[in-house]
Amino acid sequence: MKQILLLTSLLLSASATAYERIASLNLCLDQMLLSWVPAEKIASVTWLSADDHYRSAPLPENIHLNRGRAEELVPLAPDLILVGEFGAQRAARRLRDLGMKVVSIPDAYSLKQLQEQLAALENALGPLPPLQKQQRQLQELLARPVPESEASALILSANNITYGRGMLEHQLLARAGFANLAAERGVEQLGRVSLEEVIALQPDLLVLYGGESDFALAHLAFRHPVLKSYIDGHRLYTLPAELGFCPALVAADVLKQLTEKRKKLVAQQ
Amino acid sequence: MSRSNRWFFFLIVFALLLALIAALASGPVSINLSSALAEGWHSENSDAVILWQLRLPRALLAIMVGAALGMGGAAMQGMLRNPLAEPALLGVSSGAALAAILLLYYGVAWQSGWLLPLLAIAGAFCSVACVWMLAGRGASASRLVLAGVAINAFLSALMALALNYAPSMFAMQEIVFWLLGSLANRGWDQLLLALPFILAGAALLFAARNYLRALSLGEATAASLGFRGRRYPLLVLAGIAAAVGAAVAVAGTIGFVGLVVPHLMRPLVRQDPGRLLWASALAGALLLLIADILVINIVGAQELRIGAVTAFLGAPFFFWLIVSARRGQSL
Repeated sequence: MKQILLLTSLLLSASATAYERIASLNLCLDQMLLSWVPAEKIASVTWLSADDHYRSAPLPENIHLNRGRAEELVPLAPDLILVGEFGAQRAARRLRDLGMKVVSIPDAYSLKQLQEQLAALENALGPLPPLQKQQRQLQELLARPVPESEASALILSANNITYGRGMLEHQLLARAGFANLAAERGVEQLGRVSLEEVIALQPDLLVLYGGESDFALAHLAFRHPVLKSYIDGHRLYTLPAELGFCPALVAADVLKQLTEKRKKLVAQQ
Repeated sequence: MSRSNRWFFFLIVFALLLALIAALASGPVSINLSSALAEGWHSENSDAVILWQLRLPRALLAIMVGAALGMGGAAMQGMLRNPLAEPALLGVSSGAALAAILLLYYGVAWQSGWLLPLLAIAGAFCSVACVWMLAGRGASASRLVLAGVAINAFLSALMALALNYAPSMFAMQEIVFWLLGSLANRGWDQLLLALPFILAGAALLFAARNYLRALSLGEATAASLGFRGRRYPLLVLAGIAAAVGAAVAVAGTIGFVGLVVPHLMRPLVRQDPGRLLWASALAGALLLLIADILVINIVGAQELRIGAVTAFLGAPFFFWLIVSARRGQSL
């Protein structure tokens, strides 16, 4: 039995190291590579990954930062180039024409698409243990029955934007047992919510978005004294900024934390 | 003041009260105004919270900022003896906005307390002094406007540059706020931050009212009446900078109020620059409050910037003034 396990792990690590010089032309794919693939196997990531706003994994020194242009990647001779569904399509076409291996990974805007994205990434890279762990975690959470809505929640993002039906954030709230008040008011995708509406709707949980530490008037609503009761009553949850640009990294954790928050709120009530 | 003019001012005060009630009744959520008022300040009822914590500070801030801009415009036009002098047009607001941007985006953010209005006032003072020095004493309208436009353009470019390199991802889109102003999401904290400085500015301008009156007869006459030296111009400059700088620090640059309102009020105070100060303060408050009511009721959560609305309201009056001037009446 031990020998089989050893053989399997050897096979897994062999397939995980199939590519030695991986390049990415997409911010989210950058972050997944930096989080789950050994640094020495990454040839290039996009310049956005060097920005503090987007960096969720440490950036190796001397890594090449590309701006999505084909001529930057050719001299690096990558053996695998990952590209997203929309950005840098012209560069991807050119690199394919030059005979390089370019794999397109779909973007994810829902829980189903998230699973498809992780599966596509696994197909491209081979079975990486951290990626598989993330997949497993997500599958386990999604396999659980959707709980009845026991509490209400409302997302208040920068510039008073809220998230309604059809958004990943809404699905996470619903899966965690929250009734999303924006969706109940008929918001499809994105909508606007004023502070007055936040107060009038009285959500059990107010969900802020992003951990932006730099000053912006876009976040002025978050600082308004009228939300003090939510802060004092621990009825506040902040979605990580990564959920906006690379949900695969954090969706499982967010779902777990939201579920815990709902349980606590219900117990308090 | 004649009896009819006195009635007109009572009318403005009455209109201001009506506008305040309209502002308290305006918003995306329908509330029971009388019961919310009766519930009182400390109530946790959502209607009362909306009224006392959201609508009232916003309406009072509109009144306060409008008064500061109206009064600042009147003082500027009086001191420079130029009908085109206005804080936003001549770069005073841009100076304050640039100082606020540097502090907020590169410094200690919104929690900076008194530092924010103080720095904005310093910025406003520097820019108004620059315009004054650049145009020179007794400058013609064209030279003054030229100096103001130059300073304003330069400061606006610096604002764009500062926001472009600011660490916040939202900084560049927020240039719209700094150029057109907004009262959205403001609370008592911003109101209390600006209030003492606006009151101080008003007091300084009130103290300089006789100088402005004397100046309307010419610099030489003013000097012969005892208003010599730099003390009085500095008093007016400090008053304008304090009122306008503090207003810009919390509400951004709101144009047109300081330009149009003194023109509208001047005939009602018989061209008296002293009385024009408080008349413009009242009318400025009314104009900005009405503009904010329109912003709230017309566009809702996706707010049109208030500066655009003041321009919509102010421009037709200005057209009328220009047409009147062309017919031979005085501007």
